[in-house]
Amino acid sequence: MTELLRLAVVGHTNTGKTSLLRTLGRDTGFGTVSPRPSTTRHVEGVRLLADGEAVVELFDTPGMEDAIGLLEHIDSLVVPGERLDGPDRIARFLASPEALTRFEQEAKVLRQLLASDAGLVVIDVRDPVLAKYRDELAILAACARPLLPVLNFVNAPSTHEHEWRDALARLGLHAVISFDTVAPALDGEQQLLEKLATLLDRFRPSLQHLIEARREEAVTRHQAASRLIATLLIDVAACRRIVPQGAEATLKHEVEALREQIRQREQACVRELLGLYRFRPDDVAPSGLPLMDGRWEDDLFSIEALRGMGIRLSKGMVAGAITGVGIDLVAGGLTLGAAALAGAVVGGLWQVIGRYGHDALAKLRGFRSLTVDDAILRLLALRQQWLLNALEHRGHAAIHPIELDNPDIKRWRSGSLPPLLGKARSHPEWSTLNPTHSPSEALDQAIAALIDQLPSGQTPRS
Amino acid sequence: MKRPALTPFQSRWLAEVIRQHEEAHGPLDDQALLAELLAGPPDAEQRILLRAERLGEREGWRDALLAWRAQARNLLFLLALFALFSGFAAALGVMGAGQRLESGISLNVIWVLGALLGMPLLTLMLWLASLFAHDGADTLLGRFWWWLNERLAGKASRHARIGAGLSSLLVHHGLLRWLTASVTHLLWTLALASALAGVLLMLAIQRHIFVWETTILPTEAFITLIGALGWLPGLLGFATPDADMIRTSGNGLAQTESARLAWSSWLAGCLIVYGLAPRLLAWLVSHGLWSYRHRGLRLDLSLPGHALQRTRLIPDSRRLGVVDQAPSTWHAPHIQPHPPLHGQAHLLTGMELEPDLRRLPALPPSVSTWPVIESREDRRQLLQAVSERPPARLLLALDARLTPDRGTLAYVADLAMHAETMAIWLMAAERSDPDRLQAWRDALIELGMPTERMMDDASMALRWLGMPHD
Repeated sequence: MTELLRLAVVGHTNTGKTSLLRTLGRDTGFGTVSPRPSTTRHVEGVRLLADGEAVVELFDTPGMEDAIGLLEHIDSLVVPGERLDGPDRIARFLASPEALTRFEQEAKVLRQLLASDAGLVVIDVRDPVLAKYRDELAILAACARPLLPVLNFVNAPSTHEHEWRDALARLGLHAVISFDTVAPALDGEQQLLEKLATLLDRFRPSLQHLIEARREEAVTRHQAASRLIATLLIDVAACRRIVPQGAEATLKHEVEALREQIRQREQACVRELLGLYRFRPDDVAPSGLPLMDGRWEDDLFSIEALRGMGIRLSKGMVAGAITGVGIDLVAGGLTLGAAALAGAVVGGLWQVIGRYGHDALAKLRGFRSLTVDDAILRLLALRQQWLLNALEHRGHAAIHPIELDNPDIKRWRSGSLPPLLGKARSHPEWSTLNPTHSPSEALDQAIAALIDQLPSGQTPRS
Repeated sequence: MKRPALTPFQSRWLAEVIRQHEEAHGPLDDQALLAELLAGPPDAEQRILLRAERLGEREGWRDALLAWRAQARNLLFLLALFALFSGFAAALGVMGAGQRLESGISLNVIWVLGALLGMPLLTLMLWLASLFAHDGADTLLGRFWWWLNERLAGKASRHARIGAGLSSLLVHHGLLRWLTASVTHLLWTLALASALAGVLLMLAIQRHIFVWETTILPTEAFITLIGALGWLPGLLGFATPDADMIRTSGNGLAQTESARLAWSSWLAGCLIVYGLAPRLLAWLVSHGLWSYRHRGLRLDLSLPGHALQRTRLIPDSRRLGVVDQAPSTWHAPHIQPHPPLHGQAHLLTGMELEPDLRRLPALPPSVSTWPVIESREDRRQLLQAVSERPPARLLLALDARLTPDRGTLAYVADLAMHAETMAIWLMAAERSDPDRLQAWRDALIELGMPTERMMDDASMALRWLGMPHD
């Protein structure tokens, strides 16, 4: 039987308390987040569920705004010569009329903290450790509830993290966690929950349950995302059009039609990735992802897109890559220079026979096959992996571009493509973009194998 | 009308159909169902299945699925009838194909065995070999049944989607091979059983003379072959003709009663042991595997569509709403009007400034400064000093990178009461977040500070401070 842990999220105004609740609750619509201070003036709760079971309740409180005034007021409530400990002083304040007038906002915070098992103190480490913040912490500490300071905005260019840790230690708060509420590290949430578990031993089972549930969910989600990307790559690699040789205009038209189909296929993948990570189209803009209305800004078949992902091309290749479509002659049932693709051609020819009827066989020698270039496959693979990475960091990766030396990424940029994609080229029935598509165990195995070639993402910690 | 409940497998099949449909055409609207879905036990698969069932009912997929299944059954029934018929017909054909002699119909035993067992054995071998192939096993008859189903369903119809859902579900779980194998072996079993029945019937009502012929092989080879073939059936009690009987058959001489019986028993034994039994065994194995594994099939929740539904149906959090209302009245500080103070001094001070902001430019001699204030004591000392000797002009420098809060603003309002005129210098404005700078401006306006006395430019602020007071 796990016990429900109640946590009050407290701190100065405008430090990101509501953002913390949104991030921990995975609920981007919770409360109101605004760069303006004093946005939250009420206490609002969210219940964190592990496999549907409530394990933690978080309460978003208004910011502490007048700690210096409040501490002065509390001091004035103590009769000289009287000895009162923290909770007694707080109780006396809450009973005073000012708790309903001038300090009503602060009273709400303290009441909620007293009603909770512990408090998360959100601190904006971009701010210096001012006297008012020290007074604030002193008041919070007087509530005699375990406090876990959460250092927010630790990734900002200049912070006072060291001073803050020092100041917190002076107050006896040695357990501190760095957690960027808007763009947390991949395992940031887990670290936060683990820190809480060490602080609140009684609630360790609940927190452990939550950690497990979240980890399992992250793994499943990453698997699903990898499957989306692998399916996209197979779909595009196996995609093949057989076009009768004839007017250049027809060929151009077919090439453009194929390109458009590939664009839409990528778009479908992006949409599903966003959906999987519960990014709504209006979340994308502030997150810094290079997406407009859920679409990539750079066209798939553009030099900018290739360069943007660091795919280097010689001058001669640029023109070809921008077409993005390889054109092969089909002669006597075999693609020139690619006899190994016999299976593909046969598959493709079936389409042609279906489309052009009995004359098709007679025209065998005059067909061209269109396939998508390797460079475009690389680009598709890199863009989608980059997006996935960004989504897993909630847009954080958009600020820090994907590491160029990550071996998983490097091989997609310049190494040889997985042989599976070459194999896919000779299996037109693997691609949902081809009319001959049919599911088969071979396709299923190919997708599974390709998933293994993609970065495995979050490594579960033991 | 109460509809029959779906079996666990059928509901997973339906979920796969819905998943594929949503993948291709975007999500179905399930807002009305969410409350019901979230009320059940928090099991991701169960919720996805319930959602699929409700949507399937609404969109007609459920009925289509049951219709597809009924059609597949009917087709299988027809194919089974066909198999029975063709097995029987083949037997009659083979048994009647011999030369009609006076003493009966001559039957070439090798030819009979080859005709009745050749195809089934060959295809069985191929199937066994394909079990070890990388791409999975293939079975002609099962595929044919599957293909017929697809044909009957039509290309773009709802039925086709049901079939596609089943096939992708089965392929993903490696079950399609066992389903088609089970159908294939069932049909062969039926065909071979009816062929055996046909053979026995013909043996019962016609007189057959068993012969064998050769041009180049020695008699001994036949004796060995017949004996070897009869060994396994012999273990089950079937008779095998002895060497004399075999020799007699080879010479086309009249057969004794016992020889005919031995030959008949040998033939039936061979058909059962080399034809019917292996197929029956293969059918039992593949049907057993199919029915055991398809009942235990669970959805793969890492498939994109299911993963998406899982995040919706097993929420990470639930909002509790507002548990403590916002204060009904907001105690915003405000600068109060004050009587003339007749101050003389021009005073510059700062509040809550970081060291990098504490270096001030050279000031005109008429301007005095007060150390930067931060703590309660600092605040009190400054307030006391200005209330004793109110300045004519007071310039308070603030760090625009910080967040304005009620406490600071209240103190600014208190200070303003003790200065003839007071202005605010928002330092580091250029390094501040534009939102925060705007928050300061808004807060100061709300406080009652005129906009012309909020400056973020150092020279402008100091010029204001240095100007004589009028």
